[in-house]
Amino acid sequence: MQDQNLIEMKGVQKWYGGYQALRDVDLTVRKGEKIVLCGPSGSGKSTLIRCINRLEAIQQGSIVVNGHRLDDSIKAIDVVRQDVGMVFQSFNLFPHMTVLQNCMLAPIRARRIGKAEAEATARKYLERVRIGDQAEKYPAQLSGGQQQRVAIARALCMQPKVMLFDEPTSALDPEMVKEVLDTMIGLANDGMTMICVTHEMGFARQVADRVIFMAEGHIIEEGAPDAFFRNPQHARTRQFLGEILAHH
Amino acid sequence: MTPHFGLPEFGFLLQGLQWTVLLTLVAFVGGCTAGLIVALLRTSGHKTVEWMVRIYIGIFQGTPLLLQLFVVYYGLALVGLKLSAFVAVAIGFTVNASAFLGEIWRGAIQAVPRGQSEAAMALGLHYSSRMRDIVLPQAIRISLPATIGYLVQLIKGTSLAAIVGFIELARAGQIVSNQTYQPLLVFGVVGAMYFILCWPLSWWGSRMEARLALANQR
Repeated sequence: MQDQNLIEMKGVQKWYGGYQALRDVDLTVRKGEKIVLCGPSGSGKSTLIRCINRLEAIQQGSIVVNGHRLDDSIKAIDVVRQDVGMVFQSFNLFPHMTVLQNCMLAPIRARRIGKAEAEATARKYLERVRIGDQAEKYPAQLSGGQQQRVAIARALCMQPKVMLFDEPTSALDPEMVKEVLDTMIGLANDGMTMICVTHEMGFARQVADRVIFMAEGHIIEEGAPDAFFRNPQHARTRQFLGEILAHH
Repeated sequence: MTPHFGLPEFGFLLQGLQWTVLLTLVAFVGGCTAGLIVALLRTSGHKTVEWMVRIYIGIFQGTPLLLQLFVVYYGLALVGLKLSAFVAVAIGFTVNASAFLGEIWRGAIQAVPRGQSEAAMALGLHYSSRMRDIVLPQAIRISLPATIGYLVQLIKGTSLAAIVGFIELARAGQIVSNQTYQPLLVFGVVGAMYFILCWPLSWWGSRMEARLALANQR
């Protein structure tokens, strides 16, 4: 099915105590779609993607991932997390394991795959992010860009249906941003469904099917990158784009 | 005629030393096992459980160890559970150690960056794997200097066991000293024995601490 919906969020509300982080969010992501989420800090964009794999609980509304309704049951959370890979701003590699072990752990523990197969898969994805020769090293021995590529490979080893990226280049030195973005572009070209929280507007122009702008927990506007950048509808969007594009 | 401090007396001290080491080992291994459970419950995220464990820790950290040993030895005897001195102090020290080690490890578990658990959850790893594979290996490293420090305190603290009639190193020293009237010599030897046990551990502990500090700088 070409038009299969991988993610459906409806009427999602999320509070941290008295502070409302997500307000009535509706979002549908089709299989193969690439979405870029942007917005000022505190707008709820990270919170939104963290709700998709239940790193954050929602208080109202519904989230369906690959046909599975996400509720509070461990089983539902499990099923959804098997389908959703995530890459974090601060990499979050496991420092006491080698690159290879980082990539093998989850398939062995969560997918119950044999060691040899897990290693073959890990090496395949490490090659794919062009870091196969560093497999025996520890994360601390790698540069930030290399670490983030390992984190991408680690997520891919679980063979997710959709990848979430939470500001994957924000913690990187400028010269390393490109290698990570190139990896993400490669992934996009291979047809992976992706939701990326990022301020890399060049990346958004190049790979996004839709760009979504958030502020104060709302989705303010969304559109194809061309229209979104050339002709933003809302004043809030124009102001935001003015601020970030001024630096580019 | 009062005996002089000789080989038999030294042998008696060595016996006391053996009991000190044995009591320390039992209390430490038992305390580690129970302390791990305490630390896991204390960080479980269940409010009621966490509160109950806090009270448990509060009781054993907030009352004298001496009192706890009394309660185990005499208190349990009152309700009909007559324990040998060794078993009683072993239980007392184990329970006490579980509270202290539990707190040390609770702190270490919480010192592991949150992102580590989040990454593990995002990868679909369950609580047991998250703890065993990700959090605890890092927490143990963080807690090692404090854990070794506690072990040193424990070795010296076992001398309290003498209060219920258990003859460990310090008590053995007292007995020999009373027999020989050579307190300086006897307690000198006793002190040297404690030192030989504790000093290498302390040294190892501070080395671990230095290595950890170095690793954190990177």
